[in-house]
Amino acid sequence: MKLLLLEDDDATRSHIEKALTSAGHVVDVCLTGPDAVFLASSNEYSVIILDRMVPELDGLSALKQLRAQGVSTPAILLTGMDGIRDRVEGLEGGADDYLVKPFATTELVARVAALARRPPSVDAITMLRVGDLELDLLKRTVSRAGRRIELQAQEMKLLEYLMRHKGEVVTRTMMLENVWSFHFDPQTNLIESHMSRLRAKIDRGFDADLIHTIRGSGYRIEASPP
Amino acid sequence: MKKTSSFNSAAFRFALLIAGLFAVGSIVLLTIVEHSLRAYAAEATAVGLRSELAVLTEDWPDGGKQEVIDSIRRRQRSAFEQPFHYLLLDADSKRLAGDLPVTAARPGWGRVTFVDDRPQLGEPSDAETFQTLGTRLSDGSLLVVATDTFDVQSVRHRLVAFTIGSSIALTILALIGGYLIGLMFLRRLDRVNGAVARIMSGDMTERLPAIGMSAEFDHLSTNLNAMLDRIAALMEGLRQVSTDIAHDLRTPLTRLQQRLEAMRGSESEAAYETGISDALTQIGEIHVIFRALLRIGQIEGGERGSLVRIDLSELMRRLEEAYQPVAEDAGKTLRAAIDDGIAVVGDAELIAQLLTNLIDNALVHTPPGTNITFALHEGAAGVVVMVSDNGPGVPADQHGKILRRFYRLDQSRHTPGAGLGLALVASIAALHGAELLLEDNEPGLRIHLRFAAAACS
Repeated sequence: MKLLLLEDDDATRSHIEKALTSAGHVVDVCLTGPDAVFLASSNEYSVIILDRMVPELDGLSALKQLRAQGVSTPAILLTGMDGIRDRVEGLEGGADDYLVKPFATTELVARVAALARRPPSVDAITMLRVGDLELDLLKRTVSRAGRRIELQAQEMKLLEYLMRHKGEVVTRTMMLENVWSFHFDPQTNLIESHMSRLRAKIDRGFDADLIHTIRGSGYRIEASPP
Repeated sequence: MKKTSSFNSAAFRFALLIAGLFAVGSIVLLTIVEHSLRAYAAEATAVGLRSELAVLTEDWPDGGKQEVIDSIRRRQRSAFEQPFHYLLLDADSKRLAGDLPVTAARPGWGRVTFVDDRPQLGEPSDAETFQTLGTRLSDGSLLVVATDTFDVQSVRHRLVAFTIGSSIALTILALIGGYLIGLMFLRRLDRVNGAVARIMSGDMTERLPAIGMSAEFDHLSTNLNAMLDRIAALMEGLRQVSTDIAHDLRTPLTRLQQRLEAMRGSESEAAYETGISDALTQIGEIHVIFRALLRIGQIEGGERGSLVRIDLSELMRRLEEAYQPVAEDAGKTLRAAIDDGIAVVGDAELIAQLLTNLIDNALVHTPPGTNITFALHEGAAGVVVMVSDNGPGVPADQHGKILRRFYRLDQSRHTPGAGLGLALVASIAALHGAELLLEDNEPGLRIHLRFAAAACS
């Protein structure tokens, strides 16, 4: 995928660029807000990654300008501003995701992938499939190899989130934000407890595992082994 | 600090302005009065002259000129003070009667100045201006009657003198008053400025004295003091956060340093892998502490998102469902007793964080086999959230302390966490005006959180 990265700090920029390039993306970089506005409005990118604190025109203002011009490319804001109002401000300004520094590059790579492959219209889909696992979004039922699997409401939400991002790494933070709407880290193993139960229901008794743990990153659901 | 002189004070400038306005007002008033007086006097003089002329010429057609001459002479000889002077000239301009100078000889209205040779008793005989009215008689002779305008002039002069005098006196009085009020005001403000100077030089316990003068000034100093209290509290919070960061991040940073040092000289790649994983975990913990500290600082500084009506019953049910598996995995039971349809007004994200922190604490700091109860009900006292357990509990004398940052009980030293969970709970509760109570559950700990109920919408 072709990505745009706005980041003025040399070390951070080369680090992120390296991580994204390793993940198979093509990255255009720029150092100032006006450059980002120019590049994003004159090229087709899959995702735009904007650092919030850059010279001349900050990332959020650049994004607002782009949205005003009708550029709807998915955008992630990178920021050291972890204020209670800052995230809301970022999302209201047109960001699709908001990542607080410092973050693991695996987290950013996972979020970029999740954003880029976001289906244009989620409402049109009524059935999610991964291998022989099916989730009927209308009936809210799950079956694998034709066998019905009973899930609790939050397990269903978790599975739906994983299946919507099949083949992609989903991090703990992404799960906390999207399934539980937690923008903080609980002290307890909330994710691990739910994932172990979901795994027991989805994979136990079947030949192939669909849910895979990616060490140090998160989880991935896919039919073929990683 | 810059000092203001009394002459420069607002009170003095105000007095100066009032004095100026008064002076302008006096001049305007005087002009109007003088104008009216002049008009009245002119009218009275004209009426007098016209009627005197009419009386003298009344018998003119019958009595002829001699009658007029006799009339004039009679009037001039009269023992009573006469307001009029006369001049009768024949057609050849020869004086027939009267004492007016010939310069007054003109028909119609006119003025003449001469020395009255009939001075009033005790009054100096100065040159005076007289109003004249002349008329031609049918034989061509000219009759002029004059009367002085002295009384009107004198009244005008006195009026002007009085107005100027009183204006000056009042202006001086206003200025002295303004100066004194300014001086008094500045003396009072000097005390306030002194207090401000002490505050600026770092004494944050100093407060402004009452200014006096009036209720609104006292109200102002009360408000400023309330603002100073708030600033002092924020500064204390900031100092606390800085101290906490400096002091309490040292421990995890030291551990990190030790881990990295231990990796040096490792022979195997596996040891390196493990070392790096441990170091990253350690860094993750440092981030958690750092974020929690910053968040507590922000919340105590009054920062929050938008306040909305939160369906607390629904939120707590979701949390119960989220935490059931966690409790189960830890060998504990989580029982919920949640009443329906209870709402509070608050920041949804912060309330969720507060509740998860309470459940997290109950799960982390209790041994396996513990029963945890998670309850919500609404009574006369408001909305009450209760999280209780039958674990080891917390000694009563420690109840207040465990709400402080980084305070950890000896028994929980071996459990994960940095001692910030309950500090965050306390700051979020305070931000929402909720009351936080810790009680002995006999055995275990019971935490009560009392919110004001949201108005039904």
